[in-house]
Amino acid sequence: MAKIIVVTSGKGGVGKTTSAAAMSTGLALRGKKTVVLDFDVGLRNLDLVMGCERRVVYDLVNVIQGEAGLNQALIRDKRVDNLFILPASQTRDKEALTPEGVAEVLAQLKEDFDYVICDSPAGIESGAQLAMYHADEAVVVTNPEISSVRDSDRILGLLSAKTRRAEQADEPVREHLLITRYNPDRVDSGDMLTLDDIREILAIDLLGLIPESEAVLRASNQGVPVTHDAESDAGLAYADAISRLIGEDVPLRFHEARKKGLLSRMFGGGHR
Amino acid sequence: MSLHRDSADEAFTFKGGMLPMTIMELETGDPERIRLQLGNKRTHSPAFFQHTPVVLSVEKLDEPHLALERICAVCRDHKLLPVAVRGGADPVRQSAWALGLGWFAPLETQRVRSLASVDQATEPPEDDTEPPAQQEAAPAEGATRLYRGTVRSGQQVSAAEGDLVVVGAVNAGAEVLAAGNIHVYGALRGRALAGIHGNPDAGIFCRELKAELLSVAGNYKRLEDIDPQLLHASVEVHFHRQQLEIKPLG
Repeated sequence: MAKIIVVTSGKGGVGKTTSAAAMSTGLALRGKKTVVLDFDVGLRNLDLVMGCERRVVYDLVNVIQGEAGLNQALIRDKRVDNLFILPASQTRDKEALTPEGVAEVLAQLKEDFDYVICDSPAGIESGAQLAMYHADEAVVVTNPEISSVRDSDRILGLLSAKTRRAEQADEPVREHLLITRYNPDRVDSGDMLTLDDIREILAIDLLGLIPESEAVLRASNQGVPVTHDAESDAGLAYADAISRLIGEDVPLRFHEARKKGLLSRMFGGGHR
Repeated sequence: MSLHRDSADEAFTFKGGMLPMTIMELETGDPERIRLQLGNKRTHSPAFFQHTPVVLSVEKLDEPHLALERICAVCRDHKLLPVAVRGGADPVRQSAWALGLGWFAPLETQRVRSLASVDQATEPPEDDTEPPAQQEAAPAEGATRLYRGTVRSGQQVSAAEGDLVVVGAVNAGAEVLAAGNIHVYGALRGRALAGIHGNPDAGIFCRELKAELLSVAGNYKRLEDIDPQLLHASVEVHFHRQQLEIKPLG
């Protein structure tokens, strides 16, 4: 039986889809049979980030409304075996997702896969609540800024109240913190919240820390999840996060400012 | 499935709230003396008597039986709407209920009871974090409510009758309320309202002060009003000499 993991944040634009794509790719690269679902009906992006936008025929809404079978809608990733994508509909609105339909789709996927990754829409309304409802674990994506932290806090409250596990008084959803766009230099200069600040407020386990990186933007625009850019700082950081997700203990990195050499100090270095 | 709850499907939702309420503190149980004074007052400030809801406080009266029905009738004649009674002996409480009025415990015993009940530390269920659930699981009268964990943005935890103890932080955007005292063993970054039924002796205690709002019996201070030197300190908050006083702990 698969683990259902929701990637969520409350706030938009913090890196949910990037993280869902990177983590599902990483899990598949380690031999886990993985499917990633886009719940952002009407604003779908996952297919772009995964680079499969030209191969979308059917989507999640079609499956739920019985217009296509699940196997027809699942898109096999070109680069990694064991990885499938279920895109969202761009033309329907959020009301097209019914709780019963989502439950049925997830129940079927759970039979066939090791990991089911749900990419949540932003916000705290029905779309986001549907994406988190069946989750066993949650990855809460947070940027080092105060509004993002507060929205994540709100989402954590919903995870403990509005999920199947909460309603059935089952074991609570396991919550993980994934900090993205972290820039140690800007943290040191006081522009960004520190890692410790964020951890203190949210008080959940740290899954990973993804540095602010050009590799992420490049990956999104090329439609190649940043995990494939294995030499990049962000690629390495996501690999660490995936290791922790499957239970390995790896040390934290990228949380301290790089020591500037003499030359970069003289010429201003290549930061920002 | 209860996930997709449209507001159209639900007949109502329970919400915690604090409303301004006029308390009419009775010095006598004699309806005619009350009528006389109301008549005078009404000529002075007619605007006040517009079906204004009032709580009849009978704490000062030492009579086991009151002509509650007649007192209410006098009030209604003067366009005051009694909605509840505070204090009084058991017969008073029974007749209040019979008249369709609410009944509140008298202030003095409320305070004593809430302090005494800390020892008993009855622990209500912890799984209810959304406001509607709390209303249902409200602890017995005067009981201390113990909450373990972080109270997160958008959540509200309340102790409708006694003290509230939070072992954890109260984050920005969260709200904690109690009829009695509020203790936060962690950072208080959200809103804390103690003495919500008007108990001015209630207090707020916290390990790290960063509260958006502090209120005791409706007297409040905003984050902006708090002396910056007290921020991040362990403090206690009381209502003293007609204002909210924040003092470092220990």
